[in-house]
Amino acid sequence: MSYLISRIFVGWVALITLYPFLWMVLSSFKTNREIYQPGHLLPQSFDPFAYRLLFSAELIDFYEVLVRSILLAGGQAVFACLVTSATGFALAKGNFRGKSVVFLIALLVILYPRQAMSLSLFEWMAQMGITGSLSGVLFSGVASGLGVVFFAQVFRKVPDELIDLAKVEGQSPFGAYLTLLPLVMPALITYGVLHFLLAWQDHLLPLLVLSSDQLTLPLALAKLADSSHRIPEAVGMAAGVMAMLPLLLLFGYFFRRIRTALSEWVVS
Amino acid sequence: MSEVKAGRFWGNFPALLPLLAPFLVFWAFFWLIPLIGGVELAMEESLSLSATEPKASTGYNNFLRVLEDAKFLHSLENTAWFVGCTLLVTLTLGFFLAASIFRMKRRYQSVFLFLLLIPSLAMPGTLASLFYLFFHGKSGALNQFLVIPLGLEPVNWMMNPAWILPCLVAQAVWRWTGLLTLLFYCGMRAIPRWQFEVARIEGASPWAIVRGILYPGVRHLLVFGGVFLLIDGVASFSGAYNLLGGSGGVMDVGLLFVTYVYQVAFPGGGGRFDLPLASAMCILVASGAAICGFFILRLRKGGALRG
Repeated sequence: MSYLISRIFVGWVALITLYPFLWMVLSSFKTNREIYQPGHLLPQSFDPFAYRLLFSAELIDFYEVLVRSILLAGGQAVFACLVTSATGFALAKGNFRGKSVVFLIALLVILYPRQAMSLSLFEWMAQMGITGSLSGVLFSGVASGLGVVFFAQVFRKVPDELIDLAKVEGQSPFGAYLTLLPLVMPALITYGVLHFLLAWQDHLLPLLVLSSDQLTLPLALAKLADSSHRIPEAVGMAAGVMAMLPLLLLFGYFFRRIRTALSEWVVS
Repeated sequence: MSEVKAGRFWGNFPALLPLLAPFLVFWAFFWLIPLIGGVELAMEESLSLSATEPKASTGYNNFLRVLEDAKFLHSLENTAWFVGCTLLVTLTLGFFLAASIFRMKRRYQSVFLFLLLIPSLAMPGTLASLFYLFFHGKSGALNQFLVIPLGLEPVNWMMNPAWILPCLVAQAVWRWTGLLTLLFYCGMRAIPRWQFEVARIEGASPWAIVRGILYPGVRHLLVFGGVFLLIDGVASFSGAYNLLGGSGGVMDVGLLFVTYVYQVAFPGGGGRFDLPLASAMCILVASGAAICGFFILRLRKGGALRG
């Protein structure tokens, strides 16, 4: 009986969680009149006019926005993986003075809300003359505290015998890190995908730092929402679908590995 | 081999510097220096906007002005409610969803975990637009499927001051529940199987298993999830910005802390660009949130965020 109740509970939550997304996909083919009647699910026709308009560059250059967001989030995720995994390796396998200070720094970065840093970052970037630069936004998110803590725990599980072997072979700590990196590939993928998600959704810093012709997806969606009374609502829905698609593919493809890596992480 | 402890690298900082330096450089450049700059900015006079004009220091005056700003205190109160409610609902829902999925057959587990994760993958702006178009209004789904069938008057969600903050909470719960469900589920998978075997032999009820095995098994993840939601909630911007168009909604009942900071720093129309005051707000609140998070993590023993 309780098994049935728990299945109904999960099914019900999944339904009310996901139905709006199904509605969003179908609404990207609807007219405004159809959209303003949320009770109706199916469009009268599946004319992809909203997608044509979205990619026609009449409103915004959405293709460019999409590519820019992929490069920004992807670049940040790759750099964050490399930088934080190296630090995590040093924390897990090193025994140096100041180790607790580095860990405390990582913890501080986690606990100090990133959005609250945006204003100071904006001021600093303005002083450095790098506002309007994509690399400024990209590199500002590389020093991730969560990444350091995550990889420190991941590398703690790598057997110490492998470190001894690297030492016998005369490898430096950096050389050993590079040699052992392929062993933690599932963790690298997991953290990379999660960091990509957070960078993909970052709104405030790009809003402050980037110019109006350097829109990222959150800024483009806000702009389309602002002008929704002048353009068909379906365009905003189509943009929402397109903004979700890369993440759905990424998470769908790597989901098993993410689940496995998270399961190992939570017990370490 | 004998001069170094097994499993330990050369225990000096310079040998490990190539591994540590990139993080420390990025941290110093994009975190420490901006933070120090933020503190300096918070102590500057608000009116000195010109780059050529020397900027006078006002000491802690801006921090005192922040504490006297009624709208700031109001935004802080709203944020506290927003964070508290989001935390309570998301953690509870996430835990029970994870416990329910954990009992399902293996082949269904992945499907439901992935489906529930989908809102976390959506842009907060998309969630806000969906919330507005799908749930909102007299003909919106909430009224059509929930309120009117119960014989109640349709609610104008985003115009009724009583409902604006709950709508923001609902949006945050919708966004994060799936991700936390996945985390809690992974924690439950890590619980040793013998505990469930013993419970089965002793004829424990499902509720006893939840209370006696599942909850203690993921308690550290509940704390971690709570801190994550606390920090994310304090810094929440995009969802409220899109849903309320950068305002606080009717009577500012949906004015969250970061939205107000943005209003103070970059006001529309004839407002004053008061970056020093906005910076003072950020430093006060972010430091408070970080200290809270730190003590919450320190309170628990062991777990997923260990040094």
